[in-house]
Order: sequence, then C-alpha cells, then structure tokens
Amino acid sequence: MKKDKLIIIAIFFLGLVIYLLTLRGVAGNPVARDFKENLDKPTMPFELSPERGRFVHVVNLAERGQFDLSREWAEVAYPDVGIAGGKFYSFFAPGTSYFAVPFYLIGKKFGLSQVAVFFMEVAAALISAIFIYKIARKIFNLPNKASLFSVFVFAFASNAWPYSITLYQHIFTTLFMVAAFYAAWKFANERGGRAWLYASWVWAAYALSIMVDYPNAILMLPIMIYFVYSTFSIKRVEEGISLSIRWAAIFTFIVFVLITGLQFWHNAHYYGSWRELAGGIQTYRHPEEIATNASASTGTTKNIVAFFSEKKIPHGLFILLFSDERGLFFFYPIFILSLFGIWFFYKKSREVVVFPEYVLALALILTNVALYSSWGDPWGGWAFGPRYLIPSMAWLSIFAGIFISQGAHTGIKKILAFLLFLYSSAVALLGALTTNAVPTKGEALLLPIKKYNFLKNIDFIGNNHSGSFIYNTYLSGRMTLLAYYLIIYFAVALIVLLVLIASRNKTHG
Amino acid sequence: MAEIIIRKPSFGWLARFAGIYLPESWVLLLAFLAGGLATIWSFFNGYIIAYGDAESHLNIAKRVIDSLTPGFAQLGGIWLPLPHIFLIPFVYFDWLWRTGLAGSIVSGIAFIISAVYIYKLANLLTKNNLASFLAALVFISNPNILYLQSTPMTELSLIVFFILSSYYFILFLKDEELLPLIMAAFFGFCATLSRYDGWALVLMEAGILFLYYFPIAFGIGGSDSKEEESEDISSEKGKNLFKETWSLFEGRLILFSTLAFVGIALWLFWGFLILGDPLYFTHSQFSANSQQQSWLSRGELPAYHNLIVAFKYYFVTAMSSSGIIIFITSILGMLVFLFDRKKENRFFVLLLLLVPLFFNVATLFLGQSVIFIPSLTPTTFEWTLFNVRYGVMMAPFAAIFFGYFVARRSAFGKTLLVALIISQAMLYFIGFSPVLAFQDGTHGLSSFIAKIPDAQYFIANNYDHGMVLVDDYARTISIIRTSIPMKEIIYVGNKPYWEESLTEPQKYARWIVMHRNDAVWRNIYDRPEVNARLFKYFNKVYTSEDILIFRRISEN
Repeated sequence: MKKDKLIIIAIFFLGLVIYLLTLRGVAGNPVARDFKENLDKPTMPFELSPERGRFVHVVNLAERGQFDLSREWAEVAYPDVGIAGGKFYSFFAPGTSYFAVPFYLIGKKFGLSQVAVFFMEVAAALISAIFIYKIARKIFNLPNKASLFSVFVFAFASNAWPYSITLYQHIFTTLFMVAAFYAAWKFANERGGRAWLYASWVWAAYALSIMVDYPNAILMLPIMIYFVYSTFSIKRVEEGISLSIRWAAIFTFIVFVLITGLQFWHNAHYYGSWRELAGGIQTYRHPEEIATNASASTGTTKNIVAFFSEKKIPHGLFILLFSDERGLFFFYPIFILSLFGIWFFYKKSREVVVFPEYVLALALILTNVALYSSWGDPWGGWAFGPRYLIPSMAWLSIFAGIFISQGAHTGIKKILAFLLFLYSSAVALLGALTTNAVPTKGEALLLPIKKYNFLKNIDFIGNNHSGSFIYNTYLSGRMTLLAYYLIIYFAVALIVLLVLIASRNKTHG
Repeated sequence: MAEIIIRKPSFGWLARFAGIYLPESWVLLLAFLAGGLATIWSFFNGYIIAYGDAESHLNIAKRVIDSLTPGFAQLGGIWLPLPHIFLIPFVYFDWLWRTGLAGSIVSGIAFIISAVYIYKLANLLTKNNLASFLAALVFISNPNILYLQSTPMTELSLIVFFILSSYYFILFLKDEELLPLIMAAFFGFCATLSRYDGWALVLMEAGILFLYYFPIAFGIGGSDSKEEESEDISSEKGKNLFKETWSLFEGRLILFSTLAFVGIALWLFWGFLILGDPLYFTHSQFSANSQQQSWLSRGELPAYHNLIVAFKYYFVTAMSSSGIIIFITSILGMLVFLFDRKKENRFFVLLLLLVPLFFNVATLFLGQSVIFIPSLTPTTFEWTLFNVRYGVMMAPFAAIFFGYFVARRSAFGKTLLVALIISQAMLYFIGFSPVLAFQDGTHGLSSFIAKIPDAQYFIANNYDHGMVLVDDYARTISIIRTSIPMKEIIYVGNKPYWEESLTEPQKYARWIVMHRNDAVWRNIYDRPEVNARLFKYFNKVYTSEDILIFRRISEN
C-alpha cells in the first residue's frame, strides 16, 4: 500500500515535470488583437480553432461574466463561430471553458493566463494517469511495475501527450471515463456509506463528460450499463423472483439531474432552447465574405447526428487505425502489444474475477473506435495522430501492461515493449514539442510541404520551432530544440527502461 | 439495499400469456405481422416493384401463362426458374401482377417459414427457447429482410431453402438418420433452382459429408472424443472401419446427391433443350458475366481477381445488411461456438452457415458479380450503390449466432443483448445504419423507380390497343405500370413474332418502343432498309434523347 502511494507520488511529480517541459504557451495575458497572424500560427498556443474556440469563452466568462462572445473575441474564433439570439458563440461544448475559468483568473494575476489555462489540461492528464495506475493495479491486479509501465505508455507514448499540453476536450473525456470506471467498480464492491459517494461520483462524471463533449453521452454508456449491472440483481427464489436494488445508485441520480440541468439552463439561456447544442447553432459569416464567396452564407445549421453514419465506418476505421496520416498503429505501434494483452487476459480475467471489468474496458474501446469511425471527419481536422482515440489509449495502455506481465517469455516481451515504446514515445514527443497542426493527406498534397504526419514535425525540430513555453521562454538561445528533444526523450526512455528492468521477478523472466 | 420479491402470481400472467402458443407459433405470428405490415407499407408507398428486377421476375411468370407465346419456355435460361414458378398462380390475377403483390405473397411466405426455421435451427444448436426466439427476432426485425420480403425479388426464396436445407442437414449430422438427409437434399434441390448461391450450398453439403465420414475412416477426428480418435487404419480393425465408413459415405453421398444435384442437372439440360447451350446462363449476352465485362472495361470492377477486396466488399455488405451491432455480436457468438469443444460438428455447422460468404466472395473475385457500396466504392465510379442486397444472405448466419451468443450469457448478458437488438433498431430508425437493400431499390443502380423515363408516362397515357414491340431486356418502359396486356407484348422470347417484327415491323406491332442501341433500335432504326419501312408504316409519336416511340399510321 505504501509502495503504491509512493508510486502515485512519483507519477505525479515525474509527469508534472515532463509535461511542464512541453507545456505549450507564451507569457502574458493575451488579448484579442494578439491572435491574428501571431498566436494562431503553427506551434503557437492557438494554432488551431479548437483551442481558440474554447479559450475565447474562458476570457469572456472571466472578463465579462458572460459566456457569449464580444464581437472582437468572435473575430478570434472566426470562422468556427455561430450566432444565436444575436450573440456569438463558438461551436464547442462549453464544459472545458467553464472548468478553465479559475485557472485563467489565477494565471492572470501572474501574467500567465494562457499558460495557466493550458496547465489545467496537464493537471487533468496527471489525475487520469493516477487513475490508470489504480485501475491497472487494483482492478486488473497487475504488479505495480507493470501498472507503472501502463501509465508511462499512456502519458509518454500515446497521443495523450501532445493533447495534454493544449486546450482540447480529449483529456477531460479520458479523465471522466477512468474516474467513472474506477468509481463504478468501487461502487460494485463497496457497501455502506461510501457506496453513496461512489455512485454520486459516477453520475457526476457522466454528466460532466457530456458538458465537455456531447458524444461522451454514448462513449460513456458502457460504464453506465456496468453501473446498472451493479445496481440491480435478479435471482430466482422459491416464492418467485427476487429483485435487489441498491438505492444509492437510484437516489444519487439527482447529481446527474443537477449537472445536466445546469447544462440545459446554459443551452436555454445562451442558445435559446434547452435542446440546442453548441455545434447546432446557426453559422455566422462576415458580410464581406458572403459578398465574395457564393458558397458562404449565414444562417445554415448543422445536424450533428447526421454527421455520424455507418457507411463511413470502413474508411474511418482505416484512417484511425492504420493510415499513415492518423493511424493509431502507425503513430503508436506500442498498442499492437495491447491486442495481445487483450488476448492473454481473456482467460485470466475469469480467474481473477474481473471479467465484467475486462468486458467493460473492451466495450469502451470498441464504442470509441466505432463512434469516431462513423464520424464524418475521422482525421479530426488538422491534428496530430488519432486524437479521437485518446480515451481508448488509456485502456490500451493497461492492456500493454498486461502484455508484459502475463504468461511466459516476459523478458522478450519487455524488450519488444521497450523498442516499441521508444518509437511511440519519439512520435508523441515530436507532437508535444512542436505542433498539432498537421494537415490531412488530401490537403497536404495540395500544399508545398506535402507532409501529413509526424514527418512534418521533424522539420519543426530541425528549425528550432517549438511550442514549449519553457523552451521558448528560457532555453531557446542556449540549446537547440533537437538537444532539448533528446534530453526529454532519453529521460523518459531511461525511466521506462528502469521500470521494465525493475519489474523482473522470480517467477517471470 | 432493498430486496423486492416478485411473487409467482404477479408474473404468472406473463407465463400464461407466453404459453398460449408454442414458441414456434409466436415466431410465426410475429413474422406474419411484421411481414404483413412491411408489405402494406411498401404497397402504399409504391416500393414493391421499385427494383428493376422485381418487374422482370413478375413478367417472366406472367408470360408462362399469359403472353403471345405462353409456355414454360418463357422461364428462359438466365434466372433460375423456381421463384418464377411459385409466382405463376398469383400473377394469373392481373391485379396481383401489376401491383407486385404476387411477389410479396411468395416472398412473404418464404420469410415466415425462414423465421420459424431460424428459430428451430437456433434451438437445435442451443436448446434454449429464449435464445432461439431472439435469433428469430433478429431475423424478423431486419429492415433489409422486411423490405425484400415485400417484393418479388428472389432473395427470400433462396434464404428459405438455404435455412431448411441447413436445418435438416445439421439434424442429420446430429442423429445420422436418413430422413433429414433426404429432406436436406430436397430443399437443397429447391435452392439450386432458386438462385445460383444454392449450387454452392449443395456442393458444401456434399463436401461436409465427405469430411464427416472420411476423417473417421482414417482415424483423424470427426469427433472431439479422444477415445474415438486414432484408430490405426493399417490394422485389421482399422481396415474394416475404413471399409464400413467408406460404404456408409458412398451410400449417403449417392442418396444426397441424387436429389440435391438433380436441380443443377435439370437446369443444364433445360439450357441445352431450350437454348441449345447448357451453359447459356454463364456466357450469353444476358448473363451476369457479360454485364460484369462492361464494368471491367471501365475499370469499375474493384473485386475482380483481388481476394482481399472481394472479401472486404462482401463482409461490409453483409455487416450492413444484418446491422453492424447484430453482426459484430454474431461474430462473437460464432467464436464462442467455434471454441466450444462440447459442440459436435461445430466446424461443419459453421462451414454450412458461411456458404453465402464463400459463394459471394468467390463470384466477386471471379468477376461473376459486382457490388457497389457507398462505404467502399470510390466516389469516382459512375454508381456507388448496386447489388447490396446480396448481403442479406448472411442474415441467417447473423441471427443464429446472435442467438447462440444469447444462450451462453447470464441473465444480465441476455438483457444487454436484448438492448443491443433495440439499439440496432434505433440506429436504423435514426438513419445511422442505412437500409441498403431498400436504398438500392429506390435510388441505386438496381432501381427502376429512380430513373423512370418520361416515355413511361407517355405510353401509359397514350396506349390504346394493339401489339407493342419492345426490347424488354433494355427495360425501356415498365409494362406493369401501363395498361398494356402481356399478350400484346412482342419481345425477344416470342418466336417467331420477334424475329419477323425486326425485319417487317408493321407485320404485328401497332406500337414500337426503342431505346438507343437496344435490339429494336439496332435492328430497325439503324438498318436503312427496315428504317424505311418503319417510317412508311409508323409515325414517330414520342422523341427523347434516348427513347423513340412509334405508332402505326393506319391498318393498311
């Protein structure tokens, strides 16, 4: 137990240091005029519309006390701007922006409002990493070193890294998912007063995850089904059928109602109807753009549900899993091992009585992959790697840990795991230190650069073109970006190597 | 935690209600209601004869009993005859022919029997009424199946014989009694005369018979019981066993093949008798192979000689046709079944239920068929939706293995799987999952209603009386959508009227309908000597870019 606590502390501080070294940002409290042709350039903190679209709401909430955007801030988020009731909004779900307001206010006092807001993501990623450790350790019964390896795979050899140092929804989705998973498991195994706490936690995580990103309502469903499974139990008895209900799960539904009620209030107050979602409001276009571009018009609305379609799945699957532009196994081949981990754990999960949790983890991965394969834009626009699969990477990391710790030949498995970790981590760090603004293949081939994956990021390293706040502020004149990259890379590699070596035991290689 | 005891009397009504009928009867009732409602919906929306092929099937049957030259020769030599023979008693009534309801009756009956036998087959494998009922429910609630069973298309005719033959064949493997083998052979015979997929079915059944008896003879398996394995065939006992098994195999193969393969032999003989070529269906200008050649010449036959692409196309089509959630779950069920060592003959059962996959992948690979599906077909192709209905052949597989998976789950798992059936229905309802067979029929390349020409309205409004010369294969106009009686149609199957009309168009016809480059156009319009006659005796009463319609000037 004590060892676990030490490891958790180590995860926190190690993760904090390494993530801070790559945290994207610039000093100062940015104002609207700082964005165009400056903060929105590649490697800058607002290089893409998802960061801008969320940050503008943070500023407006903190400075004006209103979620809607003033015209000058609407210009910052343009063209991803909609209009409802004569007011401007970005198309992104509001949760992340609301969470960021305290960070903005604290950061502003130190002249680091943007850095502080982005740091919120680092904090969320670290908490997620700790949950991953606890899930691997307590639920899947992995040895502590293998659990630690799982954490490192997620934190430093997956797409979580490039997206933990900027302002996106994915890390929060992951956080709520792992937290809800853990709480649901605790609820299933806990009786008494604490069960109420865990049940509340599950409902809260579900509701908050929807505030962060609407598709999470579906993404989190497997956890909610597991929760229902833990709530009701039916068995045949002599008199008839016995139905056991754990009221904690029923009464704590109020937590979900309250949070979702707030979300509905937000929708009604700002968008005009409790059912209206951020992505569904009317688009706004500049009058001059409408005059010059026949296809541009104000007033069009998007049917978000229609953007998902089964017929897109084959192509989406290829893009998300195998393509050289966003493919999971191309960017992070460490996850190939996870597939073997899943296979190995099938029988073992029954032995250690975690079969429902094993199925739940698989269901979460499958739901994530299926949902975003059917999404019209599986690339995630200009992005680095398969950003929509970040929640799945949490579970795949645990299965990678299972791979190195289960069965025979663990020595060879660890060598293989280390080699694949080196590749995957090198890719993840490329994204984290430089830019997430990588075009799709279709767009890149029309551009002079013609690069549509991490090869583009290598050019940025060569040109000393980094997004790292620490590097740009304190080190850019003292060392090349390549040197900085290698220092971080070798530090991470060394730590993981030590973990793998230390995880040798008497029974396994 | 609270515990509520629901006493038996509280839900006794449910058991009593369920017990009113046998489970099979419930399936029958449900299939009847669902099929009936789907047909009513198709009827009132005009979708029964949306497919171009739907009318052709109705017309073939109609011509056997009511045409210029009626007789069984009208069954032709391309499409297999049994579905058309089933239609004959119904198309006798003009209303049933013109509305397409004749086809709905045949497909509907096939649908109901299929649902009942999916229940029985699942029960054979699971011995679980609930799981078997859910297997049938998966089949019944499949919107692709529901739509096709409301049309004259031949898929349901094949599916019913495929299921019946498979059911009796598996029953034979279980008990080794002869009656099920004969029944399997009989329904195999029917399948071979319904669609060419049926040929693959009987071949597979014969192959399974071989695999079933031969390994035992050589002492290398056939049973999972170790005691029965490894009889040394070099020993005297082994030799006797080989002899016994060989003669058993020989006898049963002959018994099975005599009936199962006679359909194929009859069809080849029919081709020879009527068309002078037993393999007419494989290489005539009307054959699927000839049609695929035109796609190939345009570079739009993606699966041709590419096994992976062929597999990908059929797998995705089958998955979409069964519903993505249902299909993935059924694959899990299949894996559970495959790794269940207690299940005897599990490999044979699997091989049998996978026949549609093997057949369709093979025909796609060989260029004998083509599927265009929006999720895979490049948008640069002229069409991206065609023949996707072939995917429904895997619907029985999906239903049965879904049922098997249900049988192996706990009460909670069963509840979840029921939720999955509902979820799949929701995905269809909100439009996330496309109803491919319906889409192809209403606006794919297979559709007639998506491209009804203006000439159709002209002929429907202006036809008065007299014979109409038309190349039916080109589907220039839809006969059943006009008031033209079938016996007033002159088409390629009306000897000698057709041949004589192509040289002397005025001899029989009062109306001539031609489409650019169809047989009538080529033989009359493009040939100057006949063209002169055409304009001497006929007025051109309708002109469009591709279609011309002529009417006789006077009765001279």
